[in-house]
Amino acid sequence: MNNVQPKPFVIAEAGKCIGCKACELACFAVHNDDNGVGAVVGTVTVPVIPRLHVIRTESFTLPVQCRQCENAPCAEACPVQAIRQEEGVIVIHAESCIGCKGCAMACPFGAISLYKAYSNGKVVPQIQLKDQQHTPLERMAKVIAYKCDLCRTRDYEGGAAGNVPACVEVCPVEALSLVHPDTRLSRSRTAAAMRL
Amino acid sequence: MGNKVLTVCPYCGSGCQMNLLVEEGRIVGAEPADGRTNEGNLCLKGHYGWDFLNDPQILTARIRKPMIRKAGTLAEVSWEEAIQYTAEKLTVIKEKYGPDAIMGTGSARGPGNEANYVMQKFMRAVIGTNNVDHCARVCHGPSVAGLTYSLGDGAMSNSIPEIEDTDLLFIFGYNAAVTHPIVARRIVSAKQKGATIIVTDPRKTESARIADTWLPLKGGTNMALVNAFGHVLIAEELYDKQYVEKYVEGFAEYKASVQKYTPEYAESITGVQAAEIRKVMRQYATANKAMILYGMGVCQFAQAVDVVKGLASLALLTGNLGRPGVGIGPVRGQNNVQGSCDMGALPNVYPGYQPITDDKIRKKFEKAWGVALPRKVGFRITEIPHLVLKENKVKAYYIFGEDPVQSDPNASEVRETLDKLEFVIVQDIFMNKTALHADVILPATSWGEHDGVYSSADRGFQRIRKAIEPPGEVKPDWQIISELATAMGYPMSYRNTEEIWDEMRGLSPAFAGASYRKMEEQGSVQWPCPSEDHPGTPYLYKGNRFTTSSGKGQLFACEWRAPLEQPDQEYPLSLSTVREVGHYSVRTMTGNCRALSQLSDEPGFIQISPADGSSLGIEDGQLVNVVSRRGRVLARAQISNRIKTGATYMTYHFWIGACNELTGDYLDPVSKTPEYKYCAIRIEKIADQLRAEQQVQQEYEALRHQMHVEASPV
Repeated sequence: MNNVQPKPFVIAEAGKCIGCKACELACFAVHNDDNGVGAVVGTVTVPVIPRLHVIRTESFTLPVQCRQCENAPCAEACPVQAIRQEEGVIVIHAESCIGCKGCAMACPFGAISLYKAYSNGKVVPQIQLKDQQHTPLERMAKVIAYKCDLCRTRDYEGGAAGNVPACVEVCPVEALSLVHPDTRLSRSRTAAAMRL
Repeated sequence: MGNKVLTVCPYCGSGCQMNLLVEEGRIVGAEPADGRTNEGNLCLKGHYGWDFLNDPQILTARIRKPMIRKAGTLAEVSWEEAIQYTAEKLTVIKEKYGPDAIMGTGSARGPGNEANYVMQKFMRAVIGTNNVDHCARVCHGPSVAGLTYSLGDGAMSNSIPEIEDTDLLFIFGYNAAVTHPIVARRIVSAKQKGATIIVTDPRKTESARIADTWLPLKGGTNMALVNAFGHVLIAEELYDKQYVEKYVEGFAEYKASVQKYTPEYAESITGVQAAEIRKVMRQYATANKAMILYGMGVCQFAQAVDVVKGLASLALLTGNLGRPGVGIGPVRGQNNVQGSCDMGALPNVYPGYQPITDDKIRKKFEKAWGVALPRKVGFRITEIPHLVLKENKVKAYYIFGEDPVQSDPNASEVRETLDKLEFVIVQDIFMNKTALHADVILPATSWGEHDGVYSSADRGFQRIRKAIEPPGEVKPDWQIISELATAMGYPMSYRNTEEIWDEMRGLSPAFAGASYRKMEEQGSVQWPCPSEDHPGTPYLYKGNRFTTSSGKGQLFACEWRAPLEQPDQEYPLSLSTVREVGHYSVRTMTGNCRALSQLSDEPGFIQISPADGSSLGIEDGQLVNVVSRRGRVLARAQISNRIKTGATYMTYHFWIGACNELTGDYLDPVSKTPEYKYCAIRIEKIADQLRAEQQVQQEYEALRHQMHVEASPV
């Protein structure tokens, strides 16, 4: 590739968002298939951990999530290279993450949150670190960084499961969209040319 | 793989069609269908709100067998015993005190129209009373009364899809983003298409946020503002003189009534600037198509019917009726509250809004049902505490798919009422706070487990369908009521809901042509639909023919009255009860959905302005005590700069932070709807937050235990 092709990302329009949080739940469901979410058998024992967050201020309501930055400051901040760009998506590798919080501090969008790690509906315990508050000492839960991965485990790009990430698909007011900067830019250029 | 069952969402009156995905007899997911109102969209409750059917026992447990209170405790019994016992008790009470000592409710939620038809038939034909009413009384009861007076029909004059094609949306006391996200979608579309949006609301709701003009009035001053709107229309000659002359009555009286409500006078009461009042009325009057939408911010005051009539008068004065994209829309809250009204679960009308006081109509029903029918208008549910505690007139209460202890004002008085009654029947799907006071519990099938018809907020009949087999020994509501009728000597039996529906439409001219087949073909049939070849009616009053007795629209205005309980030194803040988007009604359904309950759970919230928060020393997220003259509850503070100083808001879904322990039972004089939107409270800071958090956990555990939950919390 000669030049950089800007990577797609999901963004919301405050003028449309009604703050219903359908996106948060859709995000949670799609990332927790192996934790029993959306399935009938087996109780969901994990908390709702969305990777985008609906923010309400006096004048705004909209979900905030990762911009898949080209020069991802989160990856720069990660001391163990757990954050990488894969097929245009900035991905955190949970198994490598040490929970140092550097990425969350570095992100100017607040798009990274730290929560306990879950697998098969159970908290993932640490191998050694124990909690001094408890007697006998209990192994502490592993804490990892979570962020939007554009539902890359979902077969969305032209796939059978739908064309867009779950949050975009579920939004009842079409406030969310998957933006392809290239297409958007060329459309803007065409529109500008027409106005000339 | 599994199959898909097309049905209608059981949350809110938007009437969204959806497919339930069923695998091995269990629901595994939901996806939106292309319904008339939702066009392939669902909100979070539609997507994730089916989980309660799996009975995860988060808040309450599903009732699986009939129960009778024996020696103080509820014991499971056979259906035969439950029906026989209930029939005998009702018969004894009827003989001893007369039929009017028995009260029954309809259910605006899961059961559907057929069950409501059978219930009101049971009360009228078997018990012999018109004492049947339901939660529309605590909700859009003022709309039914007010709009019937002003225009003729107590329902939305327009359709949900029309919202996005109007030129001006005038939203009054209606927070669509929270109560009807799929209606909010139309408001957003209207804005995108260039409509002017005007919002009247004390809070900065999402609609207010995107509005061109937001009128932040002081709570409890609606009538003053609506009168000022009328004043401007007349004083500035903005009203449609020709239209008023031809189609409207009562102009002279109206003009005299609004005379003194100059915008400046209204500003002194409402806090809305006089210039803004003038500006929005100029916009409203000059728009080609202007539509009013309103909600509980109009109806849940002791002066509610007057305001409904006042809003209808604005539409009449400007000729904004009888065309597409105009009119007035009371957007009904519960999924089938329009339907339970349609079916005559009201004390003054038979199905199809036919008055029980009309001899000709009563004779028609007497002939069809084969019995003499009572002539006296029945009691309303909000009058029951007084009738039981003070007047000693009601002895038995058949509560069908409602939870008045959680949903009605002044909960402690409701509990006292239930305990004083000789006989209380609760027919429901989940254990709830009301069931704790029951003498008999009759377990029913849920949405998803039975067939039927719901009416959407915009008069649209739509089919709901059975997707899975019900658990335990539960039965469809209409079947339970029919068995009870038969045991009381009035044989009632139906093979299916279609047979009930056909009996109903045979007696209701406005619904006569809305057959199951037509619903199947069209997806939705909006009433009136008078004949088999009629497609239904998207908007009412075509040709400006109103269904009032004179055929003309009726103008109305009257003096503003302040809410009855004002803040004072002891209780310095006002409290209004509201909704939140992820939960529904008394929360037996959404509180038992894993994803939804995790998003927002007990003890619930109290929204406080930053100024009040800081003067009380309370931080966002802290637990506080909320106290009124009637009760005290724990709730979590939510500091929000969308709230006015001096005002607070609590959602009525939560059981620990139950705002109806606090609310007062002042009623609108006409519709008897309670003043949920205004009472006086104080907030007490809690020093020991850790202990308060533990108290919430203990109360939650105790509640779950009371609700027959056996498993440990998830």
